[in-house]
Amino acid sequence: MTPISALLIVVTLFASVTGQLVLKYAMESDLRSRRFAVYFSAGVAAMALAFFVTLGLLQHFDLSYLFPIQGLSVVIISLLAALLLREKLTARLLVGAALISAGVILVSLS
Amino acid sequence: MSFSTRHSSLATRHSSLVTLLLNPWFQIAFSTFCVAIAELFLKRGAAQAPKLAASVNWTGISGLGIPLVWIGILLMAISFVSWLYVLRFLPLSIAFPLSQFVHVLVPLFSWIFLGELISPRRWAGITLVVLGVFTIAKPVARLEEKL
Repeated sequence: MTPISALLIVVTLFASVTGQLVLKYAMESDLRSRRFAVYFSAGVAAMALAFFVTLGLLQHFDLSYLFPIQGLSVVIISLLAALLLREKLTARLLVGAALISAGVILVSLS
Repeated sequence: MSFSTRHSSLATRHSSLVTLLLNPWFQIAFSTFCVAIAELFLKRGAAQAPKLAASVNWTGISGLGIPLVWIGILLMAISFVSWLYVLRFLPLSIAFPLSQFVHVLVPLFSWIFLGELISPRRWAGITLVVLGVFTIAKPVARLEEKL
């Protein structure tokens, strides 16, 4: 793996996590407001970026190599939602998210 | 709980079907299910798509001529709209982990409908995801019952 592909893998993870957080923020606002239009477009753009970079990476790497990294997004999104969107995070929620992350990684490894 | 009262007020004047459709917990299941079914259609469609020259083949663009692929795309679009509805009412830190149940559905559907095999490691992963989803969903279900 070259430094560039490592960087691209981080980019896809970052873009998909950002996309979810920004879309959540957009959906919490008034659907006719400017805030909604701006954040909704940004969220869709981030998702599209993640999609196309993943598509490009798939040319060079196996699915079983790329998808386990996506498993990490479960824990990252839950933590960032608590931090940035002030959602309530319980120990139980964290345990569940960790189990799901581990499960997704195992499912995609095989 | 604020995120469940907001949607139920919308539904009070409508039928029970509308009440179900407006329930964000139903929508999260619906959205996840749509993605899993879409993957099946995309896989079946991709297998029918003509192979193009290697330089453009990675895009899967030749799949756009296959009706099954379009059913997959339509289901993906429906699931996205449903997901946006979920985001309006549920915390992301609960909704996103639950949506990962798709990683259970896709191997199961591929096994049942496409005859693909599930390795022991994958069964272990499926078990962990199911445990995780139950861990998160259980206290939520109890809260909903009280309302």
